[in-house]
Amino acid sequence: MLSVISYPVFLVSVVLSLVLSISLFPAGWFEFRPEWLGLVVFYWTFRAPAQFGVLMAWCLGLLLDVLEATPLGVNAMAMAMVAFLVLTIHQRLRMYPLPQQCLVVFLLLGVSQMLVHFIKQFLGADNPGFSYLWPALTSAILWPLVSSILDRINHKLG
Amino acid sequence: MIPWEGFAIKTIFVQGPVPGLRLFLVILVSAALIAADAHFDRLSPMRSAISTGLAPVHWLGNAPYRFSDWFSGLFVTRGDLEEENEELKTRLLILERRALKYAALAAENNELRHLLNSSETLDDRVVVSEVVGVSPDPFSHEIIINKGESDGVTVGQAILDAEGLMGQVIQTSQFTSRVLLVSDSSHAVPVEVVRNGLRAVLLGTGQSNELDLVHVPDTADIREGDMLVSSGLGGRFPRGYPVAEVSSITKEAGEPFVSIKASPEARLSQSRLVLVVFQRQEESVPDAIDSPATGEVN
Repeated sequence: MLSVISYPVFLVSVVLSLVLSISLFPAGWFEFRPEWLGLVVFYWTFRAPAQFGVLMAWCLGLLLDVLEATPLGVNAMAMAMVAFLVLTIHQRLRMYPLPQQCLVVFLLLGVSQMLVHFIKQFLGADNPGFSYLWPALTSAILWPLVSSILDRINHKLG
Repeated sequence: MIPWEGFAIKTIFVQGPVPGLRLFLVILVSAALIAADAHFDRLSPMRSAISTGLAPVHWLGNAPYRFSDWFSGLFVTRGDLEEENEELKTRLLILERRALKYAALAAENNELRHLLNSSETLDDRVVVSEVVGVSPDPFSHEIIINKGESDGVTVGQAILDAEGLMGQVIQTSQFTSRVLLVSDSSHAVPVEVVRNGLRAVLLGTGQSNELDLVHVPDTADIREGDMLVSSGLGGRFPRGYPVAEVSSITKEAGEPFVSIKASPEARLSQSRLVLVVFQRQEESVPDAIDSPATGEVN
């Protein structure tokens, strides 16, 4: 359980999260689209803190930057931040019951979204109020599902 | 279990400071990248390269829509197809008649322009392209189309749909390009009113069904229902394509300008097929400059 990482599963989950973050969501509900890549980064840093860390998260964030056409480095920095925070608390996180894990997911992804929007506004984007926190909430709701699915596949193959 | 946990904690305490240092480095690199990208615009080759590498992701992202198109195509009855065919034929007839009229008008127009000694306006060349994605960021209005550098698309080209102007290309990669829609809050189009040629600037508001016409004086002759077409003044958009229709005009006492809302003509959030416009002005403008010069020599 401690450091399980199956690289094929890792690759597939990353590609899938990138695809999901540009596709397959009903129009008009974009505000609520979960932060798929954030969830994947959270999961892999949490499950395999030795292999998956800040640098990897940064590289994935860079890919998201290209897909979202944000200035290169914005999402990268946010993802690195998520990975770092998970690394600092992952031992306690293992002891938490599931609802509390969800709360942590909400907090960390919320912090990363805040960072992203802080930088975007700094560069001159609109202020959307607090609606940018919706993805963090939907991601937190999806966390039990995502982690259990990835766990199951990971255990079979890892 | 317990000794294993203890072992893990020890190793992680040994690794402790490393993620912090890495985070610090990564933040420095990110800040440098953001500055280079947002302020100096130095990273477009890098972005374009990564984007080309991510083409499979774009392709996969679009796959469900293609599949659903294909799937709905499977279950069309013969009757529906015949009906559609009939409708298309009727429409074709109407459009052909119109095209005939336009051809005559265009020829006449060119002749008149020729008499006026100005450059001949050629028809713009267009390439049909498909929308393969929308921006995942709900606060920016961008779409991705499946024509890129390999099809000759360059930054700044205008994008149309069947109804009107949609936006402009802001980034290109090998096989896809990113289009900023007219409704994005950072977008502006120079337009004119068809009825009387009144010029103004049309700004995006961040809502896909509303645009702002700004800096129109209180006394200007503009009415609800007026059609706004691109004026071509910025040098970026070709002249004369419909952009929006004035939907509401509010005059506030004491304000120097009226606040005018317009609704875009193009179906910004629905069109699947778009046209990329290749302007031929680059070729015709030097001609226009050349001809008077040669005239003087002669």
